[in-house]
Amino acid sequence: MRTLLLTSALICAAPAAFAQTLFLDNATVVDARGAQTQADVIVTDGVISRQGTDLTAPSNAATINNAWVTPGLFAPMSSLGLTDIGSSGPGNDVSSEDSSTNVAEHAADSFNPRSVHIANIRQNGVTHALVAPRSSGNSIFAGTGAIVSLTGEFDSVLNPEAFVMVDLGETGTIRAGGSRAASMAQLRAAIEDADGFFKRYANAPDGGDVLSRQDALAFNRATRGDIPLVIRVNRAADIMRLIEIKGKAKSLDMIIVGAAEAWDVAEAIAAADIRVIVDPLHNLPDTFETAGARLDNVIFLEKAGVDFAISNLTALGVTKPATLNQHAGNAIVEGLSWSDAFTAISSVPSAWFGVTDKTVIVWDGDPLEITSAPISMSINGESQSMTSRQKALRDRYNPKNTDKRPYKYR
Amino acid sequence: MKILLPLVLPVSALAACQGQESPSTESDGSTTAAFQSTYTPQPSTDVLLRNAKIIDGVSNEIREGDVLISGGKIGFVGTGEIPDGIEEMDVKGRFVTPGIIDIHSHLGNYPSPGVRAHGDGNEATSPITSEVFAEHGVWPQDPGFDEALQGGITTLHILPGSANLFGGRGVTLRNTSSHTVQGMKFPNAPYTLKMACGENPKRVYGSKGGPASRMGNVAGYRKNWIKAASYKAKRDKGGDYDRDLQLETLADVLDGKILIQMHCYRADEMVQILDLAKEFDYKVTTFHHAVEAYKIGPELAASDTCAAMWADWGAFKMESFDYINENIPFVHAAGACAMIHSDDANNVQRLNQEVAKAWSDGNRAGLDISKAEAWKWLSTNPAKALGILEETGTLEAGKRADIIVWDGDPFSTLGRPSTVMLDGAILFDKNTGLKPKSDFRLGYADLTEGPK
Repeated sequence: MRTLLLTSALICAAPAAFAQTLFLDNATVVDARGAQTQADVIVTDGVISRQGTDLTAPSNAATINNAWVTPGLFAPMSSLGLTDIGSSGPGNDVSSEDSSTNVAEHAADSFNPRSVHIANIRQNGVTHALVAPRSSGNSIFAGTGAIVSLTGEFDSVLNPEAFVMVDLGETGTIRAGGSRAASMAQLRAAIEDADGFFKRYANAPDGGDVLSRQDALAFNRATRGDIPLVIRVNRAADIMRLIEIKGKAKSLDMIIVGAAEAWDVAEAIAAADIRVIVDPLHNLPDTFETAGARLDNVIFLEKAGVDFAISNLTALGVTKPATLNQHAGNAIVEGLSWSDAFTAISSVPSAWFGVTDKTVIVWDGDPLEITSAPISMSINGESQSMTSRQKALRDRYNPKNTDKRPYKYR
Repeated sequence: MKILLPLVLPVSALAACQGQESPSTESDGSTTAAFQSTYTPQPSTDVLLRNAKIIDGVSNEIREGDVLISGGKIGFVGTGEIPDGIEEMDVKGRFVTPGIIDIHSHLGNYPSPGVRAHGDGNEATSPITSEVFAEHGVWPQDPGFDEALQGGITTLHILPGSANLFGGRGVTLRNTSSHTVQGMKFPNAPYTLKMACGENPKRVYGSKGGPASRMGNVAGYRKNWIKAASYKAKRDKGGDYDRDLQLETLADVLDGKILIQMHCYRADEMVQILDLAKEFDYKVTTFHHAVEAYKIGPELAASDTCAAMWADWGAFKMESFDYINENIPFVHAAGACAMIHSDDANNVQRLNQEVAKAWSDGNRAGLDISKAEAWKWLSTNPAKALGILEETGTLEAGKRADIIVWDGDPFSTLGRPSTVMLDGAILFDKNTGLKPKSDFRLGYADLTEGPK
């Protein structure tokens, strides 16, 4: 009972801990298009209450110089909320090796908004994420992915059926039985199963070539073009095959992820109206299908007019997309403009998935600088906690902590 | 010798020169006689870097000073006697720092492309493989070496993987163009022994005869240190004994010739390992990964044990669940020897950014660490932990001229190396387009042509 009381007291106290008024003296305010203006801003509990020139600091406000105010970041490729630790086992819902379903599996059903990683990652200014499963077994189809906000609340899945996820390239060849020809055959057959759903499955539950009835029904939303088909692919030749497929199945709305060799076919990608999620730090030929990987891949996409988003696509970057700003910032080194870099981790992917949440992040410096961090955040007017499991560990073991009690009592 | 020596060249520089010309055969007698370093510096020109912002790796930041490079060595840092007619390079306002040293790399032994045929980093056939040498699995054509150089990596330490309790010997390499690993070996750098704690050995061997638990891990270390001690006693006595490669490595550790580089995540396990080292009278030089090092900063400081860490990696397995971004600065603040490490072919290309993240998070948590202090995590402390601080790791007169000239601030996302020198030789230069290209890159798309 005593414990219960203590816990509830902490919960009640929590909001007060970050209730605050900030006076941002001569802040840089960034809009959804990435344009910057200078202004004085008053932020109360994470929400902008006034913005103008030569404002006076309210008496109760903490004054901060050189702050930046931006919309929240959107992680364009993640498995947030699907796993506690990366290793396989019951704590990891990223893929389902032994299931008999694929597209019909919704990542949203696995998503845990209370995962400690949600609050950990939110500390980096990330307010929204795409949550994607991974393929396994003998299907190139990983499942149906979700769009979530990082409030940590039970209503934070904004769209549980946001896109269908497919693995092509070397992963796809393993799934399909050993070759690109097999994975492409599986993809084409699945498109026909879903397109011809009513004809094929009406009187025969096993009427499809590669998809079960429930998977074909789930995939049908993507083949109709109601939701995007998100495909992991890297080799330029594979991207060209996808462009051919899209030429025939015109209603498909494709987003390709990885796209290490996209620079080699950037104009064809733009002409086919395919969107791209790219990692601007990928420059090693870590597989033969990424032999052409280069740091300025994203610059080719920008010049060709491709609609692109930026993500950290390494294994760690997908499970914990904490370094979006570092990845976008490095694209500036290659020649991308600040606003293109910033929108590629915020409004661009956010618009792809129709996210309209209003978000405000106050940073202690340029958000694309690795040395900057958020000071306060809000989503739809709700102040977001600036604490997390990582910060609790930090505070407990901080060498500046003068608490001499045994560590479990600090 | 056509290169003019500066008038006052410290004795240590001459000593280092001599060492380089005649590779030593001293340290571990028979064991180092094989696979000797054949590294020779590439040709260099004496040059004076003028008006630089210098971070020297010793703790100093000099707002504006000169660096003399002469005969591949550092002549002076800040101010000194300028030789007549020396070539000058005006680097006004630009940062000049020591070359970065990565103490934990698998470049070459897990190279790109990462096909199975290239997986030469883990001799995962037995938990005890102290007889293997990382250098025998290093492919010098790994394109990752070239990309790392462009990130300012001048020296790197290649370790066997962490599947085994005793994984094998690590090797310290100069990041130079060579078609052999011998041509990259850092002359006279001590060998290291990779050991591993925790989840990896018990996972790999749990169904292959053990160890299957952390108990089994520790028993495995102890059994083999006992064997090593008795082997060493025989060897010390002289006369007849059967040479055993596995025990030879361990006995060399007991003799203090080989430095222990130990993969260990959890605070409690690291302290158990420190006790193990006391039991068998050897030294753990560095804990690698050390995700919970921040919990035992004082213990690390007291035992003079270094920790090589990431800035923000964790929760990819149970033993890394308690990762915090302040790990490096907290260990540093406890007075212990802290450093960054990559363990990754991408991460190694931007270790300065990794340090910048850790540094800023540490200061945000209330510490007050200068850039000049934090720089030690990139070159000074790794050099110390590899036993090569006498020769590199800082900008000090007499040391190898392993130097980065930066575009922008190395503690910014936008700061990138523009010139990288090894022994005074320019091996990467952004402005002239000079950069190494592995054989593997030939015949693939030309990556030099930019977008229209």
